[in-house]
Amino acid sequence: MGLLAIAAGIAVFTGVGAGIGIGIATGKAAEGISRQPEASGKIMTTTILGAALSEATAIYGFVVALIILFVKWAG
Amino acid sequence: MEGIVAPHVYASVTLGERSVPLITDAVIVTWVVMAIIMVATLLLTRRLRPVPKGGQKVAETIVSLIEGLVKDQLGHHYRTYAPYLGTILIFLVLANIVGIFDILPQGPALAAVFHNPALAEFELEMHPPTKNLNVTLCLAVMSLVVAVGAEFRQRGVRGWLRSFYRPTPVSAFVKLLDYIVRPMSLCLRLFGNMLGGTIVMALMYMALPLFAPAAVGIYFDLFDGGMQAYVFVFLTMIYIAEAVETEDEMKQ
Repeated sequence: MGLLAIAAGIAVFTGVGAGIGIGIATGKAAEGISRQPEASGKIMTTTILGAALSEATAIYGFVVALIILFVKWAG
Repeated sequence: MEGIVAPHVYASVTLGERSVPLITDAVIVTWVVMAIIMVATLLLTRRLRPVPKGGQKVAETIVSLIEGLVKDQLGHHYRTYAPYLGTILIFLVLANIVGIFDILPQGPALAAVFHNPALAEFELEMHPPTKNLNVTLCLAVMSLVVAVGAEFRQRGVRGWLRSFYRPTPVSAFVKLLDYIVRPMSLCLRLFGNMLGGTIVMALMYMALPLFAPAAVGIYFDLFDGGMQAYVFVFLTMIYIAEAVETEDEMKQ
């Protein structure tokens, strides 16, 4: 169990990439809205979509961690 | 923690040596959500009249909200796809936020109150059904079928086959990969978010049972659930739009 727990912890490290990605996307969106407030609706939709797509990597890491922890390994 | 990740099986059938779960907690909570949607729909659409009044106003607001959402992405095709997308959106929003109603008394408490030991077996936690991978995979495959069906409808089977080797035959590989990756990412995103949210809330109830779960639950139960429902429907809409609109652009 000890090594499996460490492995699960490492798998969740994918969250770092997703955090940086969503941060960059949201920062650029804020820049875009401050330049062109009238386009805020379209920028908002694109940001949500981009955040959802980049968040997927973190979720994959989470799912891998769950598989490591809860799937019954042979042996 | 095991109890949240693994589904609670109420009835199962035996196929050969394996027992296949038939009715799990996800199925029962889905039935509850379906019942809520059906009753609400019946109540809100009774006695429809040209000038809306009471419940009809609520129903019309929801319908026009969904149609506006779909219209932004699909243009004049919205009439065909808004009913499906709206159904999925309403179901997912309710299914994802059902976790805030996790207040059912469990077996031991019921048995003690009613002095009936038979009730001790009762165990149903109102966790979102979308924390079960089977539910989200099913929804994602439905999205794929609708997107491919939209492509059939728009271009015909021959047009669909032609899209594999046009512009280059190499794109067939990418397109096939797309058909696997899209439902996978759709279902894993929803599943991971809902399961993660449920686990965080369970930890919250364990660590700080008073007041704190209410504040954290606003994000993990309400906001995240609504957000993921929207993202799921939005991505399905993008896939349909991609299948539907290329034909219009080709003609121009």
